[in-house]
Amino acid sequence: MVEIAIYPPNSLILADLIERKGHTPLALQKQIRQKVKDPEIDSPPMNITEDDPIKGLKYAAIEVPSGVRGRMSIIGPLIDAAEAAIIVDGAPFGFGCVGCARTNELSTFLLRDKDIPTLEVTYPTNKDETYQMVNEINDFLDSLDELVKSDEDFKDEAPVSEKEDLEFVEKELEED
Amino acid sequence: MSHNLCPRPELSKEDWDPDVVTRMIILAPGARVSESEIVSEMHMLDLPLTIKNTCYGAMVSGKEKDVKKALEEIRKLDPNHIFTKDRGFAPGDPRRCRGQRFGPREGFHQMEKEFRLLGDVADALEKRKDVKVSKKHPVDIDLVKNIMNES
Repeated sequence: MVEIAIYPPNSLILADLIERKGHTPLALQKQIRQKVKDPEIDSPPMNITEDDPIKGLKYAAIEVPSGVRGRMSIIGPLIDAAEAAIIVDGAPFGFGCVGCARTNELSTFLLRDKDIPTLEVTYPTNKDETYQMVNEINDFLDSLDELVKSDEDFKDEAPVSEKEDLEFVEKELEED
Repeated sequence: MSHNLCPRPELSKEDWDPDVVTRMIILAPGARVSESEIVSEMHMLDLPLTIKNTCYGAMVSGKEKDVKKALEEIRKLDPNHIFTKDRGFAPGDPRRCRGQRFGPREGFHQMEKEFRLLGDVADALEKRKDVKVSKKHPVDIDLVKNIMNES
């Protein structure tokens, strides 16, 4: 079972397709639920606490508007937890929107930059394109266990320390 | 309208419980079951759940393991046309419920947009069909020049 980040983060279709294959979608609603049921917030989620833009500093600089940082405090932990990602490009606003274009750009950038298996599909405009999108997502999900496993194997390999590297170079020079 | 922007939620103890989850069940166009069939089927499971019949399907709230079990049973009715999604707010929460708002709730427009795709997604899940979609490319500039020179 792999934890998969989706973008748009509240998409019904993406979350459902992922669950059908036995994986876990990192959907925005779960984060919102934590916020909604937090008794410390006066009338959630209208009021965010002052901690949220501070938490967002992990993902965006201080010059970035507090709205982006506040949103990133909710979306950021999902990106951190992601082992794989599915991004829908060119989706209209109605297809899941976090209400901020800059947050969208930053989130997709962080997902692309994270070095995890990522599938990017284009938002379908007709029936054939929908077939193609669903097939691509299903194929990606089927191959995901192996992809993530091979990634972990690669990471498990002990990195060569600088000292060992230096010894190797000195040995080579002596041989010459 | 200010009272509508920050309504004070008067929710039950269950709705404040962090272990309680809410899921939306959405029927794709062409589904072989109706909303009421789903709701009555869930009642028949005799699980401690709060079930609400809605225009798009149903909403179910309860402990995570009970909700998961109910969804597994419901999906058996029509696996390819029943879609589910998490929901952050409890059913009937005044901050989201359409009954206490002056207009559609947030999330309605997204569901409307995704609902238009659901029929095709359900068809794709029912029977895999490998298609080749040709991408549109701009017309080659040499071709345009040739046409201009000919005329």
